[in-house]
Amino acid sequence: MKSEILYPGAFPMVRVELAEGEHIKAESGAMVACSPTIDIESKMEGGFLGALSRKFLTGEKFFFQTLRASRGSGEALLAPTVPGEIVVLELDGVNEYMVQKDGFLAGADGITIDSQMQSMTRGLLGGEGFFILKMSGKGMLVLNSFGAIHKIELKPDQDYIVDNSHLVAWSATTTYNIEKATSGWVASFTSGEGFVCRFRGPGIVYIQSRNPRGFGAWVRQFIPISE
Amino acid sequence: MGQAIHSNLRIADAQSAYVITLPTQLRQDAQALKLRFGFKTILDGSPEVSPGLCRLWYRAAAREQVAVKESSKGHVMTDFHPNALCFGDEFPAGGSPCLVHVEAQGFTIAFTVDGGQEQAEVVPFSRVTVSAGGLDHDQLVLQWAGPAGQRTLYLKNPEIIHAFRQAAPAHLNEPLERAAQQVRQVRKRHRMVWGLVGGSFLALVLGLWFGSDLLVELAVDRIPIEWEQKLGESAYRDFLAQHETVNDGPSVNAITEMAQRLARHVPNNPYTFEVTVVKSDVVNAFALPGGYIVVFTGLMKKATSSEEVAGVLAHELNHVLQRHGLERIVKQLGFVAVVSIVLGNSPGLGGVMKQLGVELMTLKFGRAQETEADLSGLQLLHRAKIDPNGMITFFERLAEKDGSRVEWLSTHPMSSARADRLKAQLAEMPRQDPEPFTFEWMKVQASLG
Ligand SMILES: [Zn+2]
Repeated sequence: MKSEILYPGAFPMVRVELAEGEHIKAESGAMVACSPTIDIESKMEGGFLGALSRKFLTGEKFFFQTLRASRGSGEALLAPTVPGEIVVLELDGVNEYMVQKDGFLAGADGITIDSQMQSMTRGLLGGEGFFILKMSGKGMLVLNSFGAIHKIELKPDQDYIVDNSHLVAWSATTTYNIEKATSGWVASFTSGEGFVCRFRGPGIVYIQSRNPRGFGAWVRQFIPISE
Repeated sequence: MGQAIHSNLRIADAQSAYVITLPTQLRQDAQALKLRFGFKTILDGSPEVSPGLCRLWYRAAAREQVAVKESSKGHVMTDFHPNALCFGDEFPAGGSPCLVHVEAQGFTIAFTVDGGQEQAEVVPFSRVTVSAGGLDHDQLVLQWAGPAGQRTLYLKNPEIIHAFRQAAPAHLNEPLERAAQQVRQVRKRHRMVWGLVGGSFLALVLGLWFGSDLLVELAVDRIPIEWEQKLGESAYRDFLAQHETVNDGPSVNAITEMAQRLARHVPNNPYTFEVTVVKSDVVNAFALPGGYIVVFTGLMKKATSSEEVAGVLAHELNHVLQRHGLERIVKQLGFVAVVSIVLGNSPGLGGVMKQLGVELMTLKFGRAQETEADLSGLQLLHRAKIDPNGMITFFERLAEKDGSRVEWLSTHPMSSARADRLKAQLAEMPRQDPEPFTFEWMKVQASLG
């Protein structure tokens, strides 16, 4: 399995080459084009109930598609819905990443996707909901972002503060706490984006240069409201 | 990528798996080493080499007192499976994958090798401090100052953690116990929240089973509009395929104008209504989930004014807006059925689909739903400046027996209570001057023949 990012920048695609018999899991709707040798299966990761619970608990897309090179080698082109960068990580079986629900684009067969529960405070205040995706296993993992992806490398015990809506993925060796950005809880609740995550290394945190919620709010002001 | 350093003992980095090629008679010893070192498979393989790993193997073989004979022939291939992540200044920020092996006085740590540079060290227990770390505080973190600088090791493999706890000397027991305590707390908390979530889910399922309206509503709220549209659309297309439709002309224009005028006065309307006129003498009209509306010419012929037809439309539109169809389906077929119908990949789907078709076509709503559609329909007419009296008189007139097939009545039984409720509601509303439609109802009716 080989991958290549085409048109890096705001509107990238990723090309994945599959040898015969290989397959890849992709977010449903990620497939743009593929060789005729590749079959597309809508497979529910974790069975029906698993998929159902993921849909309703994380808001994650109900399906992952499986693209399988069942009739010979071929390639598939994948792209995310939103404009933004794509990054390819190689998991080696020991490093694990937590990924916010819109960050997953595709993963090799050896990647295991779990919905993992967060602690109460992180779930309530973190803006990611109570469940996030945990990626483990071995192989290629493709993430997408809204805007550009920025990589923050943290040494052991090094701290860094990230606005929660800019999070894409973070390694499982990091820890984070939710903190209020402004002084005073009332200000935090009323300003709407008063919460930030204080990450502590070691590990890597991937952030996106644009905030989807902020963008949504910005667009909304131009949409005329009927009545 | 690799380079040969020995004719019989060779290691390769084939993509992410490391390949070690060994003499045949060492296979058994290699098996033993595999268990200790986390090598996964031992197979025949093609010879390619990475010298650093080869030295690691040599060292492992030496420690295990395995004689590596250079003269032997044969191949053993293994995958290299790191079991921990090590952090330090010269390592990548994501940590360096490594192999940890616990021994009596400490542990050895060996790194997978890039570019042939070998890194391995023996760390005595006396130099190590212990804590719990990682996102859920469920990893064992070992820290020490090595010859090359400060090291932080993250262990999450249960076997390695167990081996470490077994071998660790007394001075580490207390911090180890504290770390274990933290892990237990995290697990307990997870179990509690999971229990809560699972319990609520179970309650929801049980509630659906026994038809609690509140829980049906909760479930319906979570079904996206697009799903509802898929549900309605398939039934709508099925129905239209079996009936003769009127595709243009005054009657279609009139119905479209009425529907659009009503829809414009629905605040935050998520639906795009689609209206079709069906050629049939049966007096009927219905709306399917998702906003698909069918009006029979029979009903239009029976109406003496456009306001009367608009009244029926307002009522039907409100069945859609209040998601009554969805509520019925969820209640009768269960939530899972809705999901499988929309996603279309569940076994036994044919049966469910058939049942659904019947269900959608004979959408017989409950009394509470009818009252809701009546009253909100009346309000919608009022907002759209259409005289609501037409609705009431038409409902009453439909109930009079005159030999025509009034199917709408079978799903909408008329009672004096129903008319009274509407009249009382109308009396409470402020008077206003209705705005006429752009068409003349008599001409529309005449076009129906
Ligand atoms: Zn009705």
